[in-house]
Amino acid sequence: MTRLRGELLRLPLYLAGLTMLVPFYWMASAAFKPVPELTRNPPSFVPGDPTLDAFYEPAWDPGVRADQLVAGLFQRYQDVPGGFLRFMGNSLFVAAAITVLSLLIAALAAYALTKMDLPGRRVIFVVVVASMMIPWQVTLVPNYLIVRNLEWLNTYQGYIVPALAKAFVVFFLVQYMRSIPDDLVHAARVDGAGEFRIWWRVVMPLMRPALAAMAIFVVLAEWNNFLWPLIIVQDDTMANVPVALSRLNASNAFNPHNMAVIMAASLLTSLPTVIFFLAFQKHFTRGIALSGIKG
Amino acid sequence: MTAVLTEPPLTNGRTASRRRARLRRAVPGYLMLLPFAGLFLGFLIWPLLNALYFAFTDFNGVRPPSWVGTENFRRLWLDDPRFRKALVNSLIYVALAVTLTTAAALTLALAFRGTSWRDRVMRTIFFLPSVTSTIAVMLIWRWIFSGERFGLANTVLSWFGAEPVSWLSTPRWTIPLLVLMAVWGGCGYGMVIFVSGLNAIPEELYEAARLDGAGGWQQFRYVTLPQLRPVTTYVVITGLIGAFQVFEAVYIVFRAVSSVGGVQDGGLMLVPYLYDMGFTKFQLGYASAIAWTLFLIIFVISMIQLRVTRALREL
Repeated sequence: MTRLRGELLRLPLYLAGLTMLVPFYWMASAAFKPVPELTRNPPSFVPGDPTLDAFYEPAWDPGVRADQLVAGLFQRYQDVPGGFLRFMGNSLFVAAAITVLSLLIAALAAYALTKMDLPGRRVIFVVVVASMMIPWQVTLVPNYLIVRNLEWLNTYQGYIVPALAKAFVVFFLVQYMRSIPDDLVHAARVDGAGEFRIWWRVVMPLMRPALAAMAIFVVLAEWNNFLWPLIIVQDDTMANVPVALSRLNASNAFNPHNMAVIMAASLLTSLPTVIFFLAFQKHFTRGIALSGIKG
Repeated sequence: MTAVLTEPPLTNGRTASRRRARLRRAVPGYLMLLPFAGLFLGFLIWPLLNALYFAFTDFNGVRPPSWVGTENFRRLWLDDPRFRKALVNSLIYVALAVTLTTAAALTLALAFRGTSWRDRVMRTIFFLPSVTSTIAVMLIWRWIFSGERFGLANTVLSWFGAEPVSWLSTPRWTIPLLVLMAVWGGCGYGMVIFVSGLNAIPEELYEAARLDGAGGWQQFRYVTLPQLRPVTTYVVITGLIGAFQVFEAVYIVFRAVSSVGGVQDGGLMLVPYLYDMGFTKFQLGYASAIAWTLFLIIFVISMIQLRVTRALREL
């Protein structure tokens, strides 16, 4: 009886959940609608005549200039080798590189701060934690100038190097590393292992859940990163997916054909992250929960 | 005298050599810290200080910066209607978005905190926007709120016989739409944190409350809410900080031909204004003054958080 009442009370929330999905559904269905159907009034909720034209348009003739507007997603960007796949490759490579490198760098720092008796380590940790409240946009202008002076605009280094020092990751890993018994480290030292070896062979394997949680965080954040690439990317070849999407959008607002292509691109951008999230959901929510509870 | 100086007492010599030994042992530790410390100083602390210096200069990125003292801040805070617009928009947006997102997150957490498959499915659904590409999501919203009759929002209106609204070019609607997007995109994240907070509350507290005759509402009011206070503080503070940094929603959904902030700057906020000044108008000194203003706002919020959590711990 009380269960039934509970379910009834939750009914509006179930409906809210359904409406949450509407934008996703709208994107997915628009990507498969033929262009005339996109502007039909009232709109069709189920693609009546599904097509892949938004992805690849067989009838498109590249010889006609005006046809730029009626090419599918994979036929655009004639001057970019690989087209849209190139942007996805850029995003993937940058996200993977930043994730691996920033996690290694942060884990080394966390080990030094928790497992070694460093003079001044408390001060260092406090500075790192305090830096978490610096909004990174404050560093936007100077970092742009640094990267420009290094001639890293429009390069992978320009994407990757400035993003490697992640105070939040150090903070999170330190919190987790504290729960690993010091005795393990002492025992390894007595056995004659060097610090680097202890870090890699003893501590890192025990850190796996924390590293997994942080890796998922960083991968998603970097895959979706927009403002920094927007500033340092100058030619289309180096764009990541969000920048490419925004350029598609800027070129032709509300041209229905263009919107179909944009929805196709959005679908292709979102799908990997959603699958990735569903596969690693447990690690992900644990990571969020831990960061929230410690705060 | 000299003898005393050249031959310090034995105990001191021992501590000195012990300190040296400690430092020697610490060398590998500092080496391990080095990559992080180098990048941290080079791409965070140094740029932060640089931004402060630029804020006191006139700088277009090509000619070397020239010192203008507090002129940028004076103009920004006293004499810039666009900045005032950006600040007021930010404050209204932040207040509405954080309040509504937090309330929605808590409601969802209370409703779907369990381990049944239905709860898990619902949690996943509400969390999906947090993992989807922000730009993709914003493009969908732009499509849904397009002014034409085939825009989904206008279709729904037409079911009720209402005339279509040109949502994106009506300044009055800009902030409400941004808030809607923020709640849609952010409630799942807060929900996850609240769920873990709820599940950490000891069951005995509820049993004790029930023994004292507390009903459902009273249990919520006198057990759940106080126990959740640190988690709530965290959700609110991170929400505030995140909301002050909003950029993509404004840039993608509302950018008009002439302005980053939408029609009549209806959606202009701090980071879009920073971007506009820095990277479309190349007034890097002025942009740095905006950046430091943003930093100061977030610094004050963080200090309040520290105070509040400390005060709560002492209670």
